[in-house]
Amino acid sequence: MIGIRGSVMNEKIKKITILPGKDKSGKKEEFEHIDIETGQSIAIVGNTGAGKSQLLYDIERLAQNDTKSNRKFLVNDKKPNKETRFNPKRKLIASLSQSMHFLTDISVEDFLKLHLESRGKKQDKKIIEEVIKIANEITGEAISHDMNLLSLSGGQSRALMVADVAIISDSPIILIDELENAGIKKEKAVEVLIKKNKMILIVTHDPSLALSTDKRLIIKNGGITKILNTTKQEKEIAHHLNWIESHNLNIRDQIRSGKEVKHLEIDCTQIK
Amino acid sequence: MKFIIFAGTPGSGKTSTIKYIIKELKDEFKLFFAKFDCLETSDSEKIEKEFNIPSVKKLAGDICPDHYTALEIPKILRQNQDKDIVILETAGLCLRCSPYVEEGLGINILDITSGDPFRYGPILTQADIVAVSKGDLISQAEREIFRAKILKINPSAKIVDVNGLTGEGAIDIASFIKSSSNIGGTSLTLKHSMPSAICGYCYGNKIIDNDKVQERYLKGKELKNLIPNLNCGKCGFKTCNEFIRGVLDKKAKKEDCPFIKNVKNKDDLCQ
Repeated sequence: MIGIRGSVMNEKIKKITILPGKDKSGKKEEFEHIDIETGQSIAIVGNTGAGKSQLLYDIERLAQNDTKSNRKFLVNDKKPNKETRFNPKRKLIASLSQSMHFLTDISVEDFLKLHLESRGKKQDKKIIEEVIKIANEITGEAISHDMNLLSLSGGQSRALMVADVAIISDSPIILIDELENAGIKKEKAVEVLIKKNKMILIVTHDPSLALSTDKRLIIKNGGITKILNTTKQEKEIAHHLNWIESHNLNIRDQIRSGKEVKHLEIDCTQIK
Repeated sequence: MKFIIFAGTPGSGKTSTIKYIIKELKDEFKLFFAKFDCLETSDSEKIEKEFNIPSVKKLAGDICPDHYTALEIPKILRQNQDKDIVILETAGLCLRCSPYVEEGLGINILDITSGDPFRYGPILTQADIVAVSKGDLISQAEREIFRAKILKINPSAKIVDVNGLTGEGAIDIASFIKSSSNIGGTSLTLKHSMPSAICGYCYGNKIIDNDKVQERYLKGKELKNLIPNLNCGKCGFKTCNEFIRGVLDKKAKKEDCPFIKNVKNKDDLCQ
């Protein structure tokens, strides 16, 4: 029994394939298959009510023609077994969303230790330092190990959540739901997650974020109607938008720390 | 017949989750819904109206809602022999008790924002399925810690994330219900014993004074020995204990119990 469970747990998820289902009017989705591989980022775009949540739900449970959309999923080109789908110890998707908050009254360091322990990992000081270091690369407001989790600002919380998901969570897929206006360097956040070989799905209307990804899935009337590969030009536009936003963030930090904002220092050397 | 018990603290999202589960089951099975609460509830009427399935509302009043639930289960099951699935939603107040039965499926709806799972007793540790609600409000790390803690105190639990607003998780719980086994008859066993709760306060004493409590307890015990303890309801009270309180509070007379002296055949009284 342990052996069987062990072998399933050890099989790394490298690729997920979406096979077409049907949209709200019962029409078959017009694609053959969509592959999502580790290290890839995908944006999911569409109007409110278009069916983005349904797609995420399908992915989370690796639907087998058993949800409203009738979509089917393959994992590493094979039909996933029940253990992969419903293993309570290992959730496939880790998520990050705007509505999430920390609720535990504990220091940052002790919290990360608790998370490591719950994942059955060693409480290694180096790992904790790495999480805090990465979080600090994502946010402008410094986080230290002895801060209380509940006293962190929105930006600090979000940055710590991203770093923690990248390093401590085992889930191979990261779902990001609307990360705009969080006061963090979004491009950096996505980069950190990609480096850790995660599959990243971002539901967003934010142009810089949507254009930073590798692919965009466009959802209409409950179905995936278009798959766009991000062009080189779009990636450049995204880079420019992120560059503008980093200045925005910089001024925001100046205002926050009580400084008088005298002029906009635009560092053109950073832009290609 | 399958017998499913949902328990969880108030506000954990029991009713809204049950609604989505009923939606998944109602076309395929003949359902019955029983809602237990302490003082008032409109949930059973809402569900009956929305899904057109028969329901009953049970209010525990002065006695422990889990005791009351256990007392009422046989009646509910007897009256619904023609149904495929009986769904019971408890009042869900006490963390010490488990209203679950060995023969049926026990589902705990657990609000992730309600604190450390270690605080919960049998309501969580004896559940077959733990449905975690409100997970979208807290961080991924805390969710993972929460899950690990649940598995520590209930290692065989099946954990499902549910969302009462979107219906997430309802398909999974419905499929667990479909594959659960049928109960043999109406004779069931509680997974966990009820708390010992017989003292003068249980008989309605309000003055905090050990002598007064003892006095009330002895009077109650005396009456208890005279009545059949079958909760037949003929005195106008839901249970014998409530009747005793009524007599001690002078709201009722001993003679209101038609069986107060001689009880020959207890089974006859059940009818």
